[in-house]
Amino acid sequence: MSNRTLPRLLQSPAVFLLLIWMLVPLSMTLYFSFIRYVLNSLRKPEWTTPALSNWRGFGNYEFVLKSKDFLFAIQNSLLIVCSILFLTVILGVLIAVLINKSFPGQGIVRVLLISPFFVMPAVNAVLWINMILDPVLGLQGIAVGGINDMVDGLRAAPGIGWFFSLWPELTPISFRATQTSAYAVIIMVTWQWTPFAVLIFMTSLQSEDQQQKEAAILDGASTWSQFRFLTLPHLGRPIAIVVMIQAIFHLSLYAEIEIVSRGNGNKNLPYLIGEFANNNIGAASATGIFAVILANIVAIFLLRMVGKTLME
Amino acid sequence: MGRIVLEHVTKSFGNTQVIPPLDLTIEDGEFAVFVGPSGCGKSTLLRLIAGLEDTTSGKVVIDDQDMTEISPSKRGLAMVFQSYALYPHMTVRKNIAFPMRMAGMSEEEQNKRIETAAASLNLTDYLDRKPGQLSGGQRQRVAIGRAIVRDPSAFLFDEPLSNLDAALRVGMRLEITEMHERMQTTMIYVTHDQVEAMTMANKIVVLQAGVIEQVGSPLELYHKPRNKFVAGFIGSPKMNLIEGAEAKKHNAETIGIRPEHVVVSNTDGLWKGTVGVAEHLGSDTFVHVHGIEGCDPMTVRAAGDATFKHGEDIYLTPDETQIHKFDAAGLRIE
Ligand SMILES: Nc1ncnc2c1ncn2[C@@H]1O[C@H](COP(=O)(O)OP(=O)(O)O)[C@@H](O)[C@H]1O
Ligand SMILES: [Mg+2]
Repeated sequence: MSNRTLPRLLQSPAVFLLLIWMLVPLSMTLYFSFIRYVLNSLRKPEWTTPALSNWRGFGNYEFVLKSKDFLFAIQNSLLIVCSILFLTVILGVLIAVLINKSFPGQGIVRVLLISPFFVMPAVNAVLWINMILDPVLGLQGIAVGGINDMVDGLRAAPGIGWFFSLWPELTPISFRATQTSAYAVIIMVTWQWTPFAVLIFMTSLQSEDQQQKEAAILDGASTWSQFRFLTLPHLGRPIAIVVMIQAIFHLSLYAEIEIVSRGNGNKNLPYLIGEFANNNIGAASATGIFAVILANIVAIFLLRMVGKTLME
Repeated sequence: MGRIVLEHVTKSFGNTQVIPPLDLTIEDGEFAVFVGPSGCGKSTLLRLIAGLEDTTSGKVVIDDQDMTEISPSKRGLAMVFQSYALYPHMTVRKNIAFPMRMAGMSEEEQNKRIETAAASLNLTDYLDRKPGQLSGGQRQRVAIGRAIVRDPSAFLFDEPLSNLDAALRVGMRLEITEMHERMQTTMIYVTHDQVEAMTMANKIVVLQAGVIEQVGSPLELYHKPRNKFVAGFIGSPKMNLIEGAEAKKHNAETIGIRPEHVVVSNTDGLWKGTVGVAEHLGSDTFVHVHGIEGCDPMTVRAAGDATFKHGEDIYLTPDETQIHKFDAAGLRIE
């Protein structure tokens, strides 16, 4: 018995468990994606039990590819993920740099800034869509109404009235039904996840070497140059980490999309899977495989990027 | 040019005054060393000159121009930090180029200066490396290079050698002194190490708790320390300070005698003691002698090949002309 056998033997249950953990769901998804499998069918009751005799080959894939929502869902997945990443990183860096200076009430401000992260996604979505973004009852509706009323009042004013009569009547945006519901999702998730970025960037900023800053000041670097040449490179690694973690999370957004518009005008791949899974498990599994492929492409892309900053 | 004058400068952090009112002039081309124990305000003083700290009151004048309210980058000073403070994401070349790039200097001129600086600091082979891939001594050289290319009116060093090992420290000490000889630019050098102060300075400023104890050339400080603190701080090993009856004989509260100004004998002398530890350096032997009234142990220098046994009797005779006398307030009596 070589001295490696025992450790291997002791590791094997864990490795075995992990393999099962990964492989079983993946193989079942693969299997279902190649057969006809529905939850309810009066016409073809034999399709309601998964069996090899219901083999459909690439039929499910073809069906998904041809369904009108598929390309749209992929596009939308990418739109939502990329926009959120872009916004959270920019806002996160700005806010982190801002609150890294010491000021009175710093502790409270920091706690308040972090708090959105502790709101449940579904609650977050309900709050935003009903209380803030609603075109009639939400803050948006009230604000737009208020501005319109004010402009209306000013139109009657002598002297300056003509100027305000040039102004158009503002109409509030409805975020529920059309493509704009994607923007609503982007707004609310950005609000929720910016604190995460701030938290990570802030810890990183606190480890920034102050003497480097002082050296840069003596070297004649302006505040902007210090930010551009010292702080930003210093934040490279945390930015990569924030991007990677968020990409993984936001590819599988679901609750917000469901609550904002029930998928009207705004679907991503997980939502499409959910819709198919109402009845057509075969198609849902095929979409799932597409989602795995998309996630892998994004992951490879990200790993390249992150790897480059981490290797420095 | 680089004449730096501090007029009545004070500095407080909150309610604690770190620098009480202080006046100091550093002439153009001088190598001034601020020396004093840790926490005495050397760095603070240097940072006040650099502009990294605001003075609480008083004026910082550089080349007859009041710089108290002028931003650090406009004072024409370059600083080298103990932690090197290199920019970790940039190559050595970019690090050295940074101040010139910020000043908007032409690429051509930048490269010319980088090449010159790199050649004089032995950095030519490392220009494309990042600071993380350099040794401590090389990093410190890059920091110096970054200071040189700015062509400043004065260099400020804050304990630049403290992070280096002993051998490298001696080498870099020489290099910086030579650099000063060559460039004849004003340099202010902060250290807690009196050996660095003695070997490098034209002018030593001894500080204690933010107060200047004495200003003078190394030998002035060695031969005529103004008070007990300077006497004990300058010179290695430290001066022996003797109190009590022996001091009274000289009409002083305390007398001081340096280890190298005591004659050691096995047979007779003014004072009798017993040998404690003997440190053999090869060239000299430093003997710690116990049992001498008013000063225990007393350190004396003996010849390098002298041998002493622990606990044996030893006789010491001080060189009367080299005895320093201090009064009750610790000030020197001539
Ligand atoms: N930013 C600061 N805030 C409060 N106290 C400080 C600050 N910087 C330095 N000090 C205090 O000023 C004194 C002198 O510090 P420093 O100039 O760094 O000493 P040195 O360089 O001689 O070791 C120390 O007692 C230190 O605690
Ligand atoms: Mg210091």
